[in-house]
Amino acid sequence: MKFSHIADCHIGGWRDPKLKDLNTQAFFRALDISLKEKVDFIVIGGDLFNTALPGIDRLKDVVRKFRELKEKNVPVYLIPGSHDFSPSGKTMLDVLEEAGLCTNVVKGSVENNKLKLKFTIDEKTGAKITGMLGRRGMLERTYYEELDRASLEKEPGFKIFLFHTAITELKPKDMDRMDSAPISLLPKGFDYYAGGHVHIVEKLDMPGYRNVVYPGPLFPNNFHELEELKGGGFYIYDNGEVKRHEIAIKKVVSIRVDALHKNSEKVTEELLDKVKRDAEEDCIILIRISGVLQSGRVSDIDFKKVYDILAKKDVYFVMRNTSGLATKEFEEVKIETRSAEEIEDRLIEEHLGQRDAAGWGKEKERKMIKDLMVVLSSDKKEGEKVYEFEARIKDELNKLLEID
Amino acid sequence: MSRGIVISGKFGEIVVRQKHGEEIELGELLIAENKSAKILLQAYDLVYGSQLSASNLELVSGMKLEEDSDLMLMDEKLRNYTLALLKNLITITPKNARSSKSLPEFFSSVREVKKEDLGFITKPDAPLFVGRLRSGSKILDFDIFLPGKDVFSHHILIPATTGRGKSNLTSLMLWDCLDKNYAGVLVLDPHDEYYGRNKLGLKDHPKKENLAYYSSEPPAGGRSLRINLSHVKPWHFNGAADWSPAQKEALSALYKRYNKDWIKFALTIPDHEGFQEGTLAVIRRRLSSLLDLDSDGSSVFCNGIFDMQAGQTTISDICSDLEKGKVVVVDTSDFSGSVEILIGSLIATEILNKYKSHKNKGILKDKPVISIVLEEAPRVLGKQVLESGPNIFSTIAREGRKFKVGLTAITQLPSLIPREILANMNTKIILGIEMAPERQAIIDSASQDLSSDSRAIASLDKGEAIISSNFTKFAIPVKIPLFEDYVRSRPKEKKDAIDFEGVNLS
Repeated sequence: MKFSHIADCHIGGWRDPKLKDLNTQAFFRALDISLKEKVDFIVIGGDLFNTALPGIDRLKDVVRKFRELKEKNVPVYLIPGSHDFSPSGKTMLDVLEEAGLCTNVVKGSVENNKLKLKFTIDEKTGAKITGMLGRRGMLERTYYEELDRASLEKEPGFKIFLFHTAITELKPKDMDRMDSAPISLLPKGFDYYAGGHVHIVEKLDMPGYRNVVYPGPLFPNNFHELEELKGGGFYIYDNGEVKRHEIAIKKVVSIRVDALHKNSEKVTEELLDKVKRDAEEDCIILIRISGVLQSGRVSDIDFKKVYDILAKKDVYFVMRNTSGLATKEFEEVKIETRSAEEIEDRLIEEHLGQRDAAGWGKEKERKMIKDLMVVLSSDKKEGEKVYEFEARIKDELNKLLEID
Repeated sequence: MSRGIVISGKFGEIVVRQKHGEEIELGELLIAENKSAKILLQAYDLVYGSQLSASNLELVSGMKLEEDSDLMLMDEKLRNYTLALLKNLITITPKNARSSKSLPEFFSSVREVKKEDLGFITKPDAPLFVGRLRSGSKILDFDIFLPGKDVFSHHILIPATTGRGKSNLTSLMLWDCLDKNYAGVLVLDPHDEYYGRNKLGLKDHPKKENLAYYSSEPPAGGRSLRINLSHVKPWHFNGAADWSPAQKEALSALYKRYNKDWIKFALTIPDHEGFQEGTLAVIRRRLSSLLDLDSDGSSVFCNGIFDMQAGQTTISDICSDLEKGKVVVVDTSDFSGSVEILIGSLIATEILNKYKSHKNKGILKDKPVISIVLEEAPRVLGKQVLESGPNIFSTIAREGRKFKVGLTAITQLPSLIPREILANMNTKIILGIEMAPERQAIIDSASQDLSSDSRAIASLDKGEAIISSNFTKFAIPVKIPLFEDYVRSRPKEKKDAIDFEGVNLS
């Protein structure tokens, strides 16, 4: 038995078209490697798309590739992740499944208020695959708490469990604030646990849990990930052996300047030196300047000069991050969290339960806020008329708020 | 109804003649009413009294025994009686309650205490339920709450002989804490008895989201206890392992040289790398044994809860939960005492440092108080242990309250704990203690004068306790309900059915 495990593709994830393209290229590369390696099937541990309803162009890309897989008899088994899950049930994954291009393995029934998951059996290999979707703010935790684990554990055969949840015991130190669930909530005794959601590369065995794997994203999803991971990757399971395949679409060059005890001219000078020395043709340049400027303002740093040099060197893309940069002339701004999602979570946590007019209690309120944010942040789709868009949003809100 | 009359005595030793047909019990609370105030009294001893001389009593008893068993004394209820020795607890006026400074009037009547007399015992902010008021063996319908924030930060001592209800009391206090968020409580549980893996326990609390449970083999929902080796520092072994000065120096040098990877290098560096061969060998052997590690000379293999890969956020997760006012139970039943102390030391050091930092930043007042529940406290607070140097628990005992971090120390042998630490434990929930030296250690360090209560402490039945605290106006006798009965009596919360959105339900 041989299968690929990929996760967190986040197709359509970057705003900039150049990076968006790289993201899609990484996805294509992973599937091409999988085909070349002659895998029996592919599992995706959530977040194939960056939103539940991705743009038409990106959707076309995925459909084209999935069709190719189908023609070559390589099925795709997946779960919705926190990004492509929709509380209203309207996600493009359903369309892909209806078209027979993939199988969402989160299927089951409710018996005595317990969720009894069903296995999807891969015809070619007999592998039994099931899994749990991921939701924003780890709202899937309650699903795990009511999961009938015993029925899953006693099932014989080669079993794969897909999950899109941060596992407490495996969180890296810099993600200690991330919502997570203990591994004990997952059923024991599976042969492979195909994870997603946490953008780390990790493969671990724990008592009762063999091959717990986070492949990380196929392509980094933000500045910090580009800095840390440089590229992406996925795993191939081949008859008991688990091997990682790195995907590096472009070389990533990280340039860091510490502004401590320096003025803006000095920082510019140092930056120019580093850029001249390290920048290469067709690479992604990441510029991070941190610390407190001795004098001058952040805007005094001559980025134009830097960009001119980079343009001459014909780099692919430049990103800069000055969130950790302050000047003595202004009040220091402390940014403790990195992603918008983390900031949202912290703000929600801070204000939870302050006005419990609906009598929901904290947990329901948290869930409602998260769900509302998902619905209210959805964009008008290409070709969708304004009144259709409004009707869709209203419909989703009514469903969410249980308004008839 | 009158239970007796004050007839003699002195302050703290008031003699009351018991009314015939009434029965004053040891520990019973009684009220003597003066013109302007009521005095709350407590019986601490009972003796016989008689109008007959000793020789007459002996004669009468001989006649009853040898000649006429139906022999009756004339006016017997006037001639023979019981004398109760009472101590003043508090003087209650319509305005307030204060320490007693006067005697009840001569011949004043004493009656049993009523709920209405106890209006001065109010429910504090952040109340911690500890049981119901007890008068002798009678349980009054009057719940006793301690001011939770104060008692936790100023340390609690729970001394008792085995089987007198220490675990039951702790379970009850933890259950009560789960309802509220004013205190984060860390429990090192060497008997895995609080979570309730196979019985009623904290896991059955309606607000179980406020509970975090760590175990090497957790049930579903519990967290696997994995601690990343990079978090273990040499000073965490204080109290957990006894190192010689040379070994301590070597540990510090290893840490200084290799920082977070010091344990890995300690187990794998060649012998000649600047350390005495013998010292390094002992360090390796001890580290391997304590942390359950193996090494082939180049790599380290983790067999237990200490891990090179996993558990990077365990300590910070626990501290974060404590800072949210949660109860964190760490099942240490699979480990030796040393490993348990090491785990406790890691967490306690981190949380104390965090709280010190909160104080420096001026945000400590917004944080919940922290308490660390320690079973068999003399293991880390005992005189003998502290002779080899302080550890994080003794540091917390001495200065933790300044940072809102306290200990809840449970022990059968309080006499092993140094007097100054015992005196720092400002709340003592005293259950039955049979051994006189142990009782004396408690009496000598109690917040109220318990010098006449030695017998009362010895005679405490299972679940009966006396609470002596800086935060109570007198030493309060309580009856602690049985945890299972208490939990079963709580109203059950209705659970909403989950709709499992997103799952294809067919």
